[in-house]
This record gives sequence, structure tokens and C-alpha cells, in this order.
Amino acid sequence: MKRLVSTLILVGSGLLSAPPSPLLDTLATELDRNFRVLKEKADPPAYFISYEVTDLDTHSIAATLGDISSHNDSHSRYLDVGLRVGSPKLDNYHLIGGAAPQFSAAVAIPIEGGTAAVKQLAWIETDRAYRSAAERLIKIKTSQQVKVAALDKSDDFSPAPVASHVEPITHPPFASDLWTARMRSVSAVFRDHPKILSSSASISAQTDERYFVNSEGTRLQHGRGFSRVIISVSTRAEDGMNLGNSVIYDAVDASNLPTEAVMKADAEKLAKEVEALLVAPVAEPYVGPAIFSGKASGVFFHEIFGHRIEGHRQKNESEGQTFTKSVGEQVLPTFLSVVFDPTVKQIAGIDLNGFFEYDDEGVAAQPVIAVDKGILKSFLMSRTPIEGFGASNGHGRRTPGYEVVSRQSNLIVKSDKTVPEAQLREMLIAEARRQNKPYGLLFQDITSGQTTTQRAGMQAFKVVPVIVYRIYADGRPDELIRGADMVGTPLASFNKILATSDRTEVFNGYCGAESGWVPVAVVSPAILVSEIEIEKMEKSQNRPPILPPPPMGTGGGQ
Amino acid sequence: MRTRVMHRSLTVAAQKALPSRDCQGAVAVAIAFLLFAPMLHAADDMVLKAMRDELQRSMTLQFNALEKPYYLEYVMEDGHRIQVSAVLDGIVTVDNSDFRIPRVRIRIGSPQFDNTNYVGSRTSYSGRYGATFPLDDDYPVLRRTFWLATDQAYKSALEAISRKHAALKNVSISEELPDFSTAKQAQMVLDWKRVKLDPQPWIPGIKALSSVFLRFPELRGSTVEISEVDGTRRLVTSEGGELRLPEQESELKIQTAAQSKDGMTVRDSVVFNCLGFDGLPSDAALKRAAEELATTVTAMAAAPRAEDYTGPVIFEARAASQLLAELLGHNLALSRKPVSEPGGSGGSAASELEGRIGSRILPESFSMVDDPTLKVWKGQPLFGTMLVDEDGIEAKPLTIVEKGVLKNFLLTRQPVRGFPTTNARARLQGGYGDSVAGITNLIVESSETVKAAELKARLIEMLKQRDKPFGMMVRKMDFPSSASGAEVRRLINGAARSGGSRPVSLPLRVYRIYQDGREEMVRGLRFRALNVRSLKDIVAAGNDSNVFNYLENGQLFALMGAGSETAETSVVAPSLLIDDLELVRVEDEQPKLPIVPAPELSSALSLNQ
Repeated sequence: MKRLVSTLILVGSGLLSAPPSPLLDTLATELDRNFRVLKEKADPPAYFISYEVTDLDTHSIAATLGDISSHNDSHSRYLDVGLRVGSPKLDNYHLIGGAAPQFSAAVAIPIEGGTAAVKQLAWIETDRAYRSAAERLIKIKTSQQVKVAALDKSDDFSPAPVASHVEPITHPPFASDLWTARMRSVSAVFRDHPKILSSSASISAQTDERYFVNSEGTRLQHGRGFSRVIISVSTRAEDGMNLGNSVIYDAVDASNLPTEAVMKADAEKLAKEVEALLVAPVAEPYVGPAIFSGKASGVFFHEIFGHRIEGHRQKNESEGQTFTKSVGEQVLPTFLSVVFDPTVKQIAGIDLNGFFEYDDEGVAAQPVIAVDKGILKSFLMSRTPIEGFGASNGHGRRTPGYEVVSRQSNLIVKSDKTVPEAQLREMLIAEARRQNKPYGLLFQDITSGQTTTQRAGMQAFKVVPVIVYRIYADGRPDELIRGADMVGTPLASFNKILATSDRTEVFNGYCGAESGWVPVAVVSPAILVSEIEIEKMEKSQNRPPILPPPPMGTGGGQ
Repeated sequence: MRTRVMHRSLTVAAQKALPSRDCQGAVAVAIAFLLFAPMLHAADDMVLKAMRDELQRSMTLQFNALEKPYYLEYVMEDGHRIQVSAVLDGIVTVDNSDFRIPRVRIRIGSPQFDNTNYVGSRTSYSGRYGATFPLDDDYPVLRRTFWLATDQAYKSALEAISRKHAALKNVSISEELPDFSTAKQAQMVLDWKRVKLDPQPWIPGIKALSSVFLRFPELRGSTVEISEVDGTRRLVTSEGGELRLPEQESELKIQTAAQSKDGMTVRDSVVFNCLGFDGLPSDAALKRAAEELATTVTAMAAAPRAEDYTGPVIFEARAASQLLAELLGHNLALSRKPVSEPGGSGGSAASELEGRIGSRILPESFSMVDDPTLKVWKGQPLFGTMLVDEDGIEAKPLTIVEKGVLKNFLLTRQPVRGFPTTNARARLQGGYGDSVAGITNLIVESSETVKAAELKARLIEMLKQRDKPFGMMVRKMDFPSSASGAEVRRLINGAARSGGSRPVSLPLRVYRIYQDGREEMVRGLRFRALNVRSLKDIVAAGNDSNVFNYLENGQLFALMGAGSETAETSVVAPSLLIDDLELVRVEDEQPKLPIVPAPELSSALSLNQ
């Protein structure tokens, strides 16, 4: 039944473009014309060119306290030119001193019509990219002669199979009136919560199309949708601590997002949680056992593990390279495996943000077994090879305007040592007692995290937990606390995972790194760790508002 | 003043439908303009009421025993903006957005000494809370957002005033001036007719205009862009000032560039600005303008590179009005150096005219009036018309120069040395909690003029006397400039190396005038040491006049897209012949010509998708 419904939507939207689009042909023709000349007549000659066009058709509506605060429809197309001079062995992308090269510029091209414009802009951009590529190659060659040889002697560019895939791309109609009413109604929930200083409910629905051609003959046209509702609140405690939390829903198609009733109930729960945080005790520095909910451990794995097995970091000598030499070695407990699988669309009915068919180098997305029963097997690879890994596995990703590097997709944590959640809790209490701690911690919600993989920075991570409970060993009721910041170092944390729950949760998000923001997902069970360290959150010097709030009155917006 | 909305390079716009026959959308647009929404009257303006009520309550703000507010000002700019841009028959952007931009200005302490004019003073509120401002006229929510914004502004003000006190313990200032002068604020709540703007009807016309460039294969890049804003500015202050003024305007911009055989990039643009939505040129006129631009830039690319030149230069009326706008816009406003920690910097460069009141700055035949009440000059609409300035004070005509002698500066409520009170010329926000003064409609006239053609004869006469083979004529300056950021940096560096003062924008259309009257276009020149003092060397003025409408943004060369706000400005001036000017070659590394030949454009078929 479900399949039938989605088929109807596909046809019913009626906006199928008949493949392949003329844009793909224009790009291919202009690429061939430029490549032929730059290969034969230029010095140094170009040996590879790619054109990627990203078409973003976005509708967004935001509301606060029952009123619309912004409404925007935008449709843009960007062209990124990739151009390589020299040879796959040594080209203009070769790293010198860890400095990342930048040739791409995401120039805006017409969203409709304008074959001539596409040709002219592609020609100008190719010329610009060629000039900076040639200039950088000369610099690299000069630098090669004076610097000691790099440890990683792999090439700069790996071969990849020629791909040809053209699919019709639908732009589902956006139900503007429906979402306007729904965002008003969801955001109006906070009218009855005057202690919450700032709140909003917003939707963004986007169709993301990619057109890709390269000088090897790859021709791609594919795309997908991203819809996301964010309900967020923030406020400030009497002592100046900023508090906030959010609920986020993701789906490929906006029509598959939760119902208004679900959103309103979640908004109410969100408000109550933040109001509870306002009066909750402040976290004390703590070292001891903790449970991370499935979503929280997802963030934990994404930050601590995922970023460290992105392939390009293994050859950049300014990177910490935690796992570079660890292939074949145990890096996680033997009951854990980690797979990155961009080919999975959905898990348990939830659309995954990290699903894609081809990466931004035109390579078919492939599942990657990164860790098998604790043993490190592979890295996430773009077409930048590293020692021992000579081919892309379809994980070269970027936001328009950035250079591709290897990035995460859908990170899936699999466990062979699962227990029901209630039992995991018992294990936490037992562990706390064993360590002589009055309580263990439960990290229920984590909004975001960050990690430093650079050698120059401290090799550490920091995640920002929002909803954290003390689970007392003596049977007292659980206690919500605020202002806990989790700190730690990556390798140490992995060895402390004792067990996992038998239920996985999905965390959809957007991950920001050197190649921009890319959509990712993490699927993980809850985990129990024997030791985690929290520190007190830095708090702002500002106080809550001096005057009481003006009267809110009754009724909603318009 | 208008805050720049969104990230796009353009500001505002409005106008007459790209006319008719060949443009399908025109009829729809014309109808849309007739269907005005009902007028909004002051009494039931919930936004004004929310601003008034929350402002009144906020005057009681006080933390511990610290300074209290003595002046509070809420501004709410709101409106609807559309934008359409195209390149070579392809639509690149279609934008349609509503916006509401609040501003809170607070002064604590006393007019003698307050939180402004300190390097750390915030211009206005911008903060963590209230960032999501409702677009709906919802009284309690509007009050709530102003409550949070004011709280934030008050806390910033407390911090600024305490740091300002501390800084002054370590430095002594030569002359103590008050921070705020008294003035009578206006109460002017005008009816605002909301106009339904729609980008769709513009699409065929803008596309068609952009396709003009398909016929010019030598050009490298072109864009056409229209934007229209229908907005209103509301202001409420603790001194009883209350305003609601419609702000409706249109802008149409056409830009193109080309590359010369030696690699130099040449470029030019045409910009039409008008108040309201029906002041842009007709379809046919726009098409002619695009063709003229394309032809000229193609010719510029082929023109010879010029050599350094010193001597007389003719500025045709358009170039003369641009030059005066650039030189005077900046120098007629006086600025104070903000208080800073010892050794600290801050503040804009001092005016070249500071201290020259009563001195002659132009030839005796010249007079100059800044008149915000004028709407039209000799049948041509003016863009700088303004009832009330940014500080809420009613603006009246002001004599700036009489018989060549400087009579007045443009002033705000921030007292400057010798000028304790405002003359209502606050036009942009300054950096330290105060407004910045600017021109409205500046009318420059001379009582002794010659026929415009006569100027050329005068120039040739001078050439013969001095035995020079040719003189120079400038038809257009690059002001506001369409240069890239990189080019602007190179120009600043170039000017600094040759020991010049603040550089003026490039002369874009420059011609050699030979003794036999022949004109020859040249490229690659800039002025050296051209400043306000050069105006004393005006030899003659034409009997013509040009209305130059533009958006001032307070940035060097009024660089298009730069700055966070704009002020509609007009300068009217005649053609000028100025002696003893220096033009030098722009020395710049030139990129090589592309290796790949340009794609064939004219045969391109539409993508139709």
C-alpha cells in the first residue's frame, strides 16, 4: 500500500522532466569543446575536467508565537568546474603543507532557458579554473624539490568507472498554505510558555538535483528531496546560562513528515523540558558510567569515529591520523561493527539523510564496512587515493562552491551484544555502584557536536548534551541536570563501551566540514560506557531580561 | 535610508511594466498596480501601537543604580521585495520576499555624555533573541520582540558607557562636545498603499533584455537585473516623534564586461533608479540602453591603452554629476573621532572641507543647494526626495555653496565642532550609535555657462595655446562602481603607492580630443590626486544639466552591493571643464586571453525546461 501511494505522488506531481535534460547535453558539449583544446594546446595540458550543476529548489516558512516570520521560495543552479593538470600521479590537487586547494566557485547559472548563458559561464569558469590549476601545479613542483617526500606516496587521483545514469527528477508541489497554517499552529504552542524567550517552528522543503559530466564520459542526472521541520526554543536561566533544545523531523517528501498533532505534542514536551531545565540543578564535574540514547550515541559515533576514518585525512600531514596505521587492528569492542551505507533509503520507516546514488565525483555510492567486529577494515574514499586504498567508494561529497573530500553518509552501528533498554539501565546502576559513584548519567538528547582531527588542535571531541539525567544508584528518582559538557579523547572512549541496547534510533543531520554541509544520518543503539567525563558549561555573563515580559494576551496569530 | 535586504548584490526597485506589445506580462502588471490594497490608517496601525506602548514601558529600564535611558527610538522597516535577473536569455534568479527589519537605538546617561561615540558602541540592536521578528501585525508578539530587543540594546549600552568612562580616564580630548543635540522630531503618519508586487510578469521582459547581449560575441559576461521594493518605515521615539513613511522604489541594472587583446578587463553598467514603480524607462529605451552599453564596452575592449596625461579635462554632465556626488557626498559630512582606548583607532577619515566654512571652494559663479523637497528637475524625477531624515527631523532646503563660498555642512544630531545642532541630513547609520549625514538632492548650478559644445572649443583653444596634441573628455565615471572586490583593493593600493589621497572612481568612458576636434576612445586610466581642491580649477560650465540618481551606501566608490544600507540620492550638475588634472595609467597585471575560443552564442537554442 505504501508503495502504491508513493508511486501516485510521483506521477501525480506531473513535473517529470524527460531524461536526459538539454542541460546535460549542453554541459557535455561544452566540456568536450573545452577539454579538447586544453588537452592539446595548453601548457601544462589538462588531463581531466568535470562539470557539476547543483539545482536547489527550496521552499521555506518560519513562524514564531503563531505569526509567520519568514517565507521564502528560492530556486538556484550552480556550476562547479573541476579541472586537473599534470597527471594522476601528481596534479594541481596535491597537498602541500596541508593547505587545501580551492578551484571550484559555484557560479550561478540560469534555472530556465539560457543555453548560451550556460556555455559562456562554463567557458569563463573553465578558463579561470585552468589558470589557477596551472599556477598551483607550478608551485607544487617547486615545493616538491625542496621539501622532504611525503609519507603517503599515493597518487593524487584514482581511476573510476565511467557512469551513465539519467533519471527523471520530480519537484513535488509544496503545500504552502498547509505549511503556513501548520507552522503558525505549532509555534503558537509557545504563547503559553512566557519563560521561553525565543521560539520558532520552521519548515524547509528542497529538491536537490545534480547534473554531472566529466571528460572520461560519465553522464549523470539524479536527485532527491530533503524536507525538514525544526521546532526550537531557547531561554536564559537566572544565573545567565543559555538553555535551549529542538525537535527535528526529516523526510524526503514533506508530505511524509509527522502530523500537526504529533508536532504540537512534541512542541509542548519541548517547552516543558526547557522549563524544567530552568530550575534544574547545575551539573557538577563528573567521571563515571553513562548511557547514551540511540540518538546521542549516533552523534558520539559520527564525531569521534566517523570523522577520523574519512580517507583524505589519512594523507594530510596536518591531520592527527588516529587510525591511519590501524587497518586490520581492533579499534572498537569486538561486539561492534560500523557500516557506512549511502544506498539505504529508509530504516524503520524513517528516511535517511545520508542516502544518495552517486557522489559529487560521479562515482556510484557504495556501502563501506569500516569496522567488522571491532577490526578496522576500510576508510571512506573519494577519488583521492591513500596508501593501500586506491579507489573511490563513492563518498566524495560537497556543497556547491567547495572542493570534494571524503565524507560520511549513513553511519550504521551494529552490535552483537544487545540487551533490552531496561536491562541496560540496571547495568548502569550496577556499574555506578561498582565504581562507588552515587549516580550514573543518561544522555537523552544531544543537539550537536564537534571534533578536532587536526594535529595542531587537541585531538578531542566535544558534544553538547541538552537533556541529561542523573540515575541514582540508591533508587532515588531520576534527576534532570543542566549545563553538562562532555569532553574526552577519541581512542579512550571506544574501549569503554560495555554493551548496547537492542533498539536502534535514527539521527538525521547536516555535517559541516571542509567541503561544506552535507546531509548525513546515524543509526545506532543506545550504548553503555564505563567512563565518561563531563565539565561545567561555560556560561554567558548576560542576565535574563530586566523588565518582565509584556502581556501576551489571548488568542493566536492571524 | 534602506537596509539592504537579503544577500543579493542589488537593492531596491520598481517601475513601469517593461512595456507592452512584445512583453506578455505587461498587461498583468498594469492591472496589479491598479489594485491597491486598502489604505492603512494610523489609528488602527497595530505595529505603531505596539512600538509606542513597549517604548514607553522600556523608558523605565534600569539595572541596579546604573544609567537610565534618556532617549529611545524604535524603527521598523518592512516591505516586500521582488527581484529577477537574467543572463543571455536565461533566468538566473526569481526572488520574492517579505521582510521586517527592526532597529532599536537607545541612549543612556545624558545628552552631554552617553553610550554613543565610543569605538565599542553598537550601532543598534542585533542579538540572540528576537531574531525571528513576526511579519504579522500581531500586537502582543511585536511588543514581546521589541521588549527582548530593547533589553539587549540596554545591556550593550551599559557596557559601552562604562568602557567609555574608563577610556576617558586615560586620554584627554581636546574639546568636549555633547553627544546629542536637541531637535524637534516630526509626527507624520502617512497613508501607505500596499502594492502587490509580482516577479513573474518581469520574466519575459528581463529575459528579452538579456538576450540583447547574444549579438555581441566580444563580450565576456553580462547580467540584467530588476528589483522592486514596496515598503514602509515606521519610527517611534521617546521624544514624541512618530513616523510612517512609504518607501517604494525600483532599480534596473545592466552590466557587462569584455577582455582586450592585451588581457585587460573592461566593463561598464547602466543603472536606472526611481522612486515608485513607474519611473523606469520604456521597454524600447531599455533595449537601446542595453545595446548602447554592449556597443560601448565592445569598443572599449578594442580602444588603445592611454598614456599618462596632465592638463584640462571635460566632464560631460553625467560624469560631472558623478564626480561631484563622489567628492562632495563624503566631504560635506563632518564626523567626530569616537572615544577609544589610548592608541585606539576608529572613525572615518576627516572631511577635506573641515574648517573651510566661509572659504571659496568653487569658482564664484557656482551655487549649490541640497533640496530634499524637490521632486523633479526640469521634468526629470529626482531620487533623493525626503520628507524627514533618519533622526526623525523634517528636512528643508539648505544652501551649501553661495557664490563659490562654502556656507553649510550636512549635519545630524551628533554635534560636531562649530555645529551644535542638526540640519536634518541624517541618511545612513554610522558605526558608533550615531547617524551619518548625506546628500539628498544636490543641485549644482553656475551663473556663467557656455553652450555644452562650446566647452570642447574652449578645450581645443587651451590645447593650441599649450601646444598639446590632444586633451581629454570623460563621459562617464565608475560611480557607483561595478568593480569586483579584488579590483577595488588593487585601486586602493595603486592610489596609495602614487601618494594620492582617497582615490576617486575610475573614469570608464574616456576620450582623447584632438586639436581638429576628432574624438578617440581610450582605456586604462585613473585620476591621480583628484579631490575637492581640484574643483577650484573649474574653467567653465555648460548650460546643460544632468540628473544623476544613485544609491549611496557610504562605501568607497559607493561600490554596488557593498555596505548594509543605502540612501536614495540625486546630484544635478552641468558639464564642466577642469584644468590641471592628472590621469595616469592603471598598472595592473593582466590575465592572459583564454586558450579555448569563446563558445558560439547566437546559434544557441533555448533549453525549454
